[in-house]
Amino acid sequence: MIGFIKKDVAMIKSNFKLLGILIVVYTIMGLYGKMDISFILPFMSVVIMISTFSYDNFNKWEEYASTLPDGRRCCVKSKYITTLLMILITSIIVIILSFIISYINTKTINYEQTFVSMLGTVFGTLLVLSFMYPVIYKFGVEKARIGIFITVFGIVIIGDLLVKYINFTNIMKILNNMNEYILILLLILSCIIFIYVSYRISLKIHLHKEL
Amino acid sequence: MENILEINNLCKKYDNFELKNISFKLPKGMIMGFIGENGAGKTTTIKAILNIIKNYSGDIKIFGLDNNNYDSKIKEDIGVVLDDMFFPEILTPKDINNTMKSIYKNWDSKMFNNYLNDFKLNNNKQIKTFSKGMRKKLEIITAISHHPKLLILDEPTSGLDPVARAEVIDIFQKFIQNDDCSILLSSHITTDLEHIADYITFINDGEIVLSKTCDELLNRYGIVKCTDIEFKKISKKDYIKYKKNKYNYEVLVDDKKSFKNKYNVDVIDRITLDDLMVLMIKGMK
Repeated sequence: MIGFIKKDVAMIKSNFKLLGILIVVYTIMGLYGKMDISFILPFMSVVIMISTFSYDNFNKWEEYASTLPDGRRCCVKSKYITTLLMILITSIIVIILSFIISYINTKTINYEQTFVSMLGTVFGTLLVLSFMYPVIYKFGVEKARIGIFITVFGIVIIGDLLVKYINFTNIMKILNNMNEYILILLLILSCIIFIYVSYRISLKIHLHKEL
Repeated sequence: MENILEINNLCKKYDNFELKNISFKLPKGMIMGFIGENGAGKTTTIKAILNIIKNYSGDIKIFGLDNNNYDSKIKEDIGVVLDDMFFPEILTPKDINNTMKSIYKNWDSKMFNNYLNDFKLNNNKQIKTFSKGMRKKLEIITAISHHPKLLILDEPTSGLDPVARAEVIDIFQKFIQNDDCSILLSSHITTDLEHIADYITFINDGEIVLSKTCDELLNRYGIVKCTDIEFKKISKKDYIKYKKNKYNYEVLVDDKKSFKNKYNVDVIDRITLDDLMVLMIKGMK
């Protein structure tokens, strides 16, 4: 499996420059008190990883990989692990930069706010990833783009309908009364569940796929 | 003789194509040429052997093990070159080496790099900058650098110039010097097979038409060229197929000696695999 991760990392090497530019832009915008774009870096990790599916598809890598020992399983596992590693690394970079920017601007560091905002970003990114990867494995990356578009619109519409017809006041009250550490724990737990379920679905699809 | 690959009654159905009861055996230490026209089922058979396609029926045994139940174990000892399937082209041979040494237990980086040098392939250049021939060589090097026992090659010499083809065939011959190793080689370039194959398996329209040793095919089979009157004297059971040309008939026979004796023919042409393919596919009975 390590080999498959090495291959994915080798493929995204060329995008490290782009991430570097984004880090510089993020730092400058942060220093000048402009928009907070911290969410872009972890999200870009997923976008970059999705581009590797296109390269794989073009050279029929998945077919070739299935001729390697445990190839089908490792193919899926490595995509998830590499993506999670990318999200983790970019999140750590953003957190460190946020501390530095905050210290330069205000001479204080707001640990709690930085961590909570980063957790929200990571949660959102993982949610997108959890939906996207099984769709990609099922329909291929080209068709999946349409699927992703429909999924995002579907989520927005369903969310809008839920807000209109369900009274969230009580739920918000419960959440407000909850200990914030329990909330964070719940958020982390739901991230793990989302990713695990998504991985299992992707794996099942890929193991039985006619390549 | 122990078989390294054994296929029994392999069937796979698509909307417009079907593999029908494919059965053949590849003994240890042998090279089998797998021939047939485009769309005959060569790649589909290879894909079934490697479990790239699913939902087929029949038995496939590699190294005596069922290819479904021992998929990962079997693949440790198989090297493959497949038509248009390889690493993403933004990678370099160096990336391939790094990847493969973590995938195969027996990956031999030294051997891989030696072959790269022999073939003058730059370790740090992206695959997309390579010509088709260079890419094919890289695929072949990658397939053999973990010391596999079975090589499965789908059109490995297509796109190569004669010099490169000779170099590649040399590699296959070196590989087969180890008596434990075998090669299943599908190719359109049948002249290459005549030089190196021990067995020939011919597939047509999803069915195995014949599977015999190369010597038997080239020595026993032959083409009789005769006139219209001579052709009418030949019994149907004494030939396999015939082709009517403008001035004569070409008749494919599977036992030159007995045909010579029975019909008192002086000359029966030696057959080439190309002739065999054309007559089997286009000929009539």
